[in-house]
Amino acid sequence: MKTLTVNGAQRSVDAEDDTPLLWVLREDLALPGTKFGCGIGMCGACTVHIDGEAVRSCQMPVSSLESGQAITTIEALAGSASVGEGELHPLQQAWIDEQVPQCGYCQTGMIMAAAALLKENPEPDEAAIREGITNLCRCGTYPRIVRAIQSAGRVIRERGAAHARGSA
Amino acid sequence: MAREQGVLNLSRRGVVGGLSLGAGLFVLGMPMVQAAEPAAGHPESARFGAMLSIDAASRVRLIVPSTEMGQGTQEALARFVAEELDCDWAALEVELPWADQSFANPLARKQITANSMTVMGYYTSLRKLGAASRAMLVAAAAARLGVPAESLTVHGGVIRDPASDRTLSFGDVAQAASSLPVPQALTLKPASAFTIIGGKSPRKDLRPKVMGQAEFGIDVHEEGMLIGVPVLAPHPKASFEAKGLEAAKARPGIHAIVPVSGGLVVIADRYWRAKSAADTITLTVTASPLDKLDDKGIHDRLAAAFDEVAPKPFPQFDMNAFPPRIVPEVSGAFEAAFEEAARVIEAEYQVPHLAHATLEPICCSARFDEQGLLVRGPLQDPDNSHRTAAKLSGLPMDKVRVEITYAGGGFGRKWGVDFVSVAIEAARGVPGRMVKTIWPREQDLAGDQYRPAYMARSRAAIGKDGSLTAIHSRIAGESIMAYHGRPPMGGMEGLADATAAGQLIYGDYADPVKRIEYHEVDLQVPVGFWRSVSMSQNAFFAESFIDEIARETGQSPLALRLALLKGHPRITPVLRKAAEMIALDAPRAKGIGRGIAFSYSGANFCAIGVEVEVKDSSLSLKRIACACDCGLMIDPVSVEGQLTGGIIFGLQASLWGEVHFEDGRPTAQNFSDYRLPMMQDVPPIEVVLMPGSEEPGNIGEASTPVIAPALVNAIADAGGPRIRTLPIARTLTI
Ligand code: FES
Ligand code: FES
Repeated sequence: MKTLTVNGAQRSVDAEDDTPLLWVLREDLALPGTKFGCGIGMCGACTVHIDGEAVRSCQMPVSSLESGQAITTIEALAGSASVGEGELHPLQQAWIDEQVPQCGYCQTGMIMAAAALLKENPEPDEAAIREGITNLCRCGTYPRIVRAIQSAGRVIRERGAAHARGSA
Repeated sequence: MAREQGVLNLSRRGVVGGLSLGAGLFVLGMPMVQAAEPAAGHPESARFGAMLSIDAASRVRLIVPSTEMGQGTQEALARFVAEELDCDWAALEVELPWADQSFANPLARKQITANSMTVMGYYTSLRKLGAASRAMLVAAAAARLGVPAESLTVHGGVIRDPASDRTLSFGDVAQAASSLPVPQALTLKPASAFTIIGGKSPRKDLRPKVMGQAEFGIDVHEEGMLIGVPVLAPHPKASFEAKGLEAAKARPGIHAIVPVSGGLVVIADRYWRAKSAADTITLTVTASPLDKLDDKGIHDRLAAAFDEVAPKPFPQFDMNAFPPRIVPEVSGAFEAAFEEAARVIEAEYQVPHLAHATLEPICCSARFDEQGLLVRGPLQDPDNSHRTAAKLSGLPMDKVRVEITYAGGGFGRKWGVDFVSVAIEAARGVPGRMVKTIWPREQDLAGDQYRPAYMARSRAAIGKDGSLTAIHSRIAGESIMAYHGRPPMGGMEGLADATAAGQLIYGDYADPVKRIEYHEVDLQVPVGFWRSVSMSQNAFFAESFIDEIARETGQSPLALRLALLKGHPRITPVLRKAAEMIALDAPRAKGIGRGIAFSYSGANFCAIGVEVEVKDSSLSLKRIACACDCGLMIDPVSVEGQLTGGIIFGLQASLWGEVHFEDGRPTAQNFSDYRLPMMQDVPPIEVVLMPGSEEPGNIGEASTPVIAPALVNAIADAGGPRIRTLPIARTLTI
């Protein structure tokens, strides 16, 4: 038995030590938004956040995790951005506005990778995005991903500025 | 033929699982016999069951019969219905389908999402479904209000009597309307009046997809479900010895190890347990149709086939006719052209086996219980999946229900039913429990139904005046249709399989006498449809060769193409546009080259220009420009996305795509050795849409095959080698 902190809740998990976090999320914790694409850390479909950093969950055996680490999946991304009930994270909204997804399979991992990127670099230029996002999309949605990240970045910065003005 | 009217015969909706119909729900069973023009003469195959329902709250639910793999057909089909229905677009909900004869595509005459037939096939019939339903709703409202139906207007799901200013919603009259006769004479809107078709509103599947809520095949779930991980020999007909079964069975969580065609499925309560156990099992192949096949063997057999296998002809078709018509060869003209030629240009080209590598690995779920068999998965061919499931299980068709989930990419792979069979055979081992079979990526790449490897030999006769008088192209390779035990496309015995030989020489290059021949090689490698099918190899062969002819005869590649196209009304403009976008003839620095090519699939005409730099045998891509006429555009934003995505898909195949064979098995393991482009690998892509008013074509396959010839033509233009063998990474460093 092991305790993990997933999307803000303590969850106990009973899985062999080498079980990747990906499968614990999908099968034990009923969080299927995190996807399986390769199992070897190359595609990024399984990207989640651990303490705010993007990690490929297929490469994280449960034994390597500690209960104090905050694991966030796509299901709770909107909540983590403290937007209103039922609202989307600015990245998810930008993904809809730019009509990014085709099959959509890679997109939850992409969005998680993008969220971590924007935290590091709130105003990435195209080169920074191309270097920073190494997830694979077989449908070839890359050009729209670049646009969506930049427009979400703008929204987040404007909100931040408005918030700063409001509290000043 | 008995016509179906009013409320649908529920028994046909399948017995397993069933469908709950809430009170106040109105279901239209449409007789779509007249609705489907392309299928006239096949009344039994053009029927539609109840796809549409409207509840008392005016909520419109549409079961979209196609498989949504990212190509946007779900959205397109929903727009067809909504446009004519005049419902509130926001109140329309789409639902995923199950296998059902009444959902058949009038063009394919079955329920299948492949060959770019979806949009074309349903365009008229689904608009008629919308129009007929609207007429019935209006008739019911007219009766209720006591006014003539003609005096009523409809907008956003509200029916209005302008004279009295009274309104009724669709929900108010849905029940009454459902029992009215289905009108026969329907007038459809002219394209100029469309408001939903052609609009830019976001697709309905985007929100669930960005939330992680869309149900893909891999997400199928029910209480008590088990997970199966296959361990498969390199061919479904291979025999093998398995070692380590006892030890594997003793591992934690393992329920069973079930034999399936060509292998085993390890069934456990969790994926990781099944996978870990599967990894400890070794299969030793004792006999396989692939024997010791390797890359050299494939090459040698294709090369030998040109001499050893009698060719099958592939006639020229008049693609402007529907169905396309055979154009008879003028007797003696072909022979004369080569006899009188001042010069003959020859070239040999090759393409390798390609994997689909959908990002969602192959998966499918199945459950046997007292009621029958339930199959759920990302299936491109529900119709064949349904028949296969019935045959395998020995159950009657109405005891088998096949439900379709979102597909995490398809590209033709999920048209195969091999993985459906594996899932069903696995589930048979644990009756009463649903088994979700998930192929690890290694198994997905090693157990694909590949795009076949082909070799082409072309020769061109050049007359004394330098003009191109004849082209003779021959192709050798495996037949997809033969592998699947089906007649060649179109069912024309004695003719070449169109999936191999179709458009090996473009019919629209008007002047030269053409002869296409196919030397079929029974390699026995599992093969299947791959995005753009025959075009995926033949656009490369045809458009490379034309370019070589132009350069060899001292003509500009664009000028020669335009001359041969004789002002083709749809190709000429896109070709000129792409040439202009890439600045084909502008001066260039040393090492820079530009190339062009075009292709057509279904009703799409797509041209691509590429700019590259070649320096000391290393290649860098500068930019890509694409112009496409795809007829009437249903969803322009999706069209642009499909063209861009299709280019990136084709880029992968052009640069790196190649499945090697060694000792009777494919060696591809994972994305580590089957390289997919990352964002960084993709140059800027500019797409210009040149819509027309012709019936819409599916756009998913338009751009994919064009990038390879445009690229190799650009490389030659840059002073690099003429690349006749794909992938390019075999010749140049990228
Ligand atoms: S599944 Fe984890 S990186 Fe591909
Ligand atoms: S949208 Fe299909 S893999 Fe990215």
